[in-house]
Amino acid sequence: MTTIPRDTRDRPAAGGRTALPPSLETPTPPRRRRLGGRLRVLVAAAVTLVFVAPIYLMLVNAFKSQEKILDNPIAPPWPPTLENLTQALTRPDNLIPLGLRNSLIVAVVSVALIVPLGSAFSFYISRRSGRVKAAILVALSAGLMIPPQVTLLPTIKILTWIGLDHTYPGLILANLGGGYLSFAVFVYVGFMRSVPDEIIQAARLDGATGLRIWWQIVMPLVRPATATVVIFLTLWIWNDFLNPLFILGPLQGQTITTGLYLTIGQYSVDYGQLFGIMFLAGVLPVAGYLTVQKQFVAGLTSGATK
Amino acid sequence: MEDRRAVRKKSGERGLALLAALALVLYLVFLVLPLLLSLRSSFTNENPLKASNDFVGLSNYTEMAGDDQLKASLTFTLILAFGVTIAANALGVGFAILLNRTSLSYRVMRTVAFLPQVLSGVIVAFVWETILTQNGLLNTALIKTGILDEPYPWLGSPNAALFSIGLVVTWVMSGFTTVVYLAALQSIPLELHDMASLDGVRGTQRFRKITWPMLAPGTTISVTISLITVLKLYDIITVLTGGGPANSTQSTALYIVKLAFTSDRVGYASAVAMLLLALSAVVALTVTSALRRREISL
Repeated sequence: MTTIPRDTRDRPAAGGRTALPPSLETPTPPRRRRLGGRLRVLVAAAVTLVFVAPIYLMLVNAFKSQEKILDNPIAPPWPPTLENLTQALTRPDNLIPLGLRNSLIVAVVSVALIVPLGSAFSFYISRRSGRVKAAILVALSAGLMIPPQVTLLPTIKILTWIGLDHTYPGLILANLGGGYLSFAVFVYVGFMRSVPDEIIQAARLDGATGLRIWWQIVMPLVRPATATVVIFLTLWIWNDFLNPLFILGPLQGQTITTGLYLTIGQYSVDYGQLFGIMFLAGVLPVAGYLTVQKQFVAGLTSGATK
Repeated sequence: MEDRRAVRKKSGERGLALLAALALVLYLVFLVLPLLLSLRSSFTNENPLKASNDFVGLSNYTEMAGDDQLKASLTFTLILAFGVTIAANALGVGFAILLNRTSLSYRVMRTVAFLPQVLSGVIVAFVWETILTQNGLLNTALIKTGILDEPYPWLGSPNAALFSIGLVVTWVMSGFTTVVYLAALQSIPLELHDMASLDGVRGTQRFRKITWPMLAPGTTISVTISLITVLKLYDIITVLTGGGPANSTQSTALYIVKLAFTSDRVGYASAVAMLLLALSAVVALTVTSALRRREISL
């Protein structure tokens, strides 16, 4: 009796050997099937564990002393020590607090500007004729493919011309124009195709202007697109390495990624310190991912199947 | 009254056009213009240490033909890109099939499988460095258990370093490919599997005849993005090996940055950048169109 609801719950969305409704499955003794299901979970769990081993190491060893790490790196941190974390947070160079603050500013400001720019642009061109739209989309898709190393140096040159090289506004400006904007436009155009023309015509008849229609009618309708754009761009800009490394340069303070790279060499033997720093640097994006996981996967999936 | 409304309407109309124009200008100034500047620079001997830069025609491009470092970097980049793409997509398909269940334990595993994608390349590379380095956790464990007598240079010899970087990048990309293939699996109609099993098609045959062909659109996306990502990869290699030992893991992306920022050979760096751009475009377009054709023929 207990096995039946379990089996239906374990029924896959698709694929796999047990994909059939029970009635169609060749008769198998229930006991064997349950065993098969258990075995499958065990195999899956074992594979997943091996796969996440590096992240597990980062997690447990952030709470262990150096001797314990070297003694047995995979042992659980018991009793846990906060020594590594407090040491990482109270470094004289302020690596973690400063890095997190700088990364947060760059990511939030960049995304807050890319979202209105990208969506307004998408709304504008999604109502143009087919050929203009297609040409612009092809140009933008090229933007997604260009390796950042190709545009890095001239971008710094352009920023120098306008006096913004080695500054945070310069880094943010470079973020606005590059591949990130292309990505935003791509996502938005896909969603705006599904906004019915009648709604826009009706609003127009009521005297609403383009700006108002876009902000008050279209934006709420394409909220899933905004979620996708915000989530992925925040993550990518947060994790970006090449742009901050060269556009900011070593004298302008660091984002969390370049800060780690430029200061961590000296700690490579002190595993406790290293894992403490890694843990603090990685905990924010991971926590963010776990909170918005559903939208995260939905965004990736809609992008991948369109 | 009527008048003011018309004015407001006009400014509102203009506001939207203005925002759209601003986006276009940013795209032109920070993507198209840099591209053109890079192209122009590739025909000069530009060097920030020199006062004047002269046009040198195609000499940067002819120099590339005899540049052994460039050839090595291209070989390394292509081996890494195709190796990682194959490995990460094979793993992604396997992982997706294994995890394609709806119960809680499987949902937790799916969440966890994507984690490597969330961490920055710098963190990923540092964590793997503590594992793979000479006195790292892996060698320590292998020596303690008696499998090795002395530490193996996972990052210290050219072939091992290529393998290690491939392993780490595959690990990162697999999180992505798994999610794409899971989505593709879930779009396969259940009836197809039901019919197959009525016809007695199961096991590997069912995978070959039904699952794999039905995954084709997912494969196209997943393979293309894996290739492009590895072709421009910078952070993981920089942290793990910095291009060493003896430049053996210097990808073309790293070589461009070294030429431009360390050797100050901006003109030549731009020419190599143009080559990488062309290579990415050709690889991406041919692979994508081949996979698209395959989608239709299946």
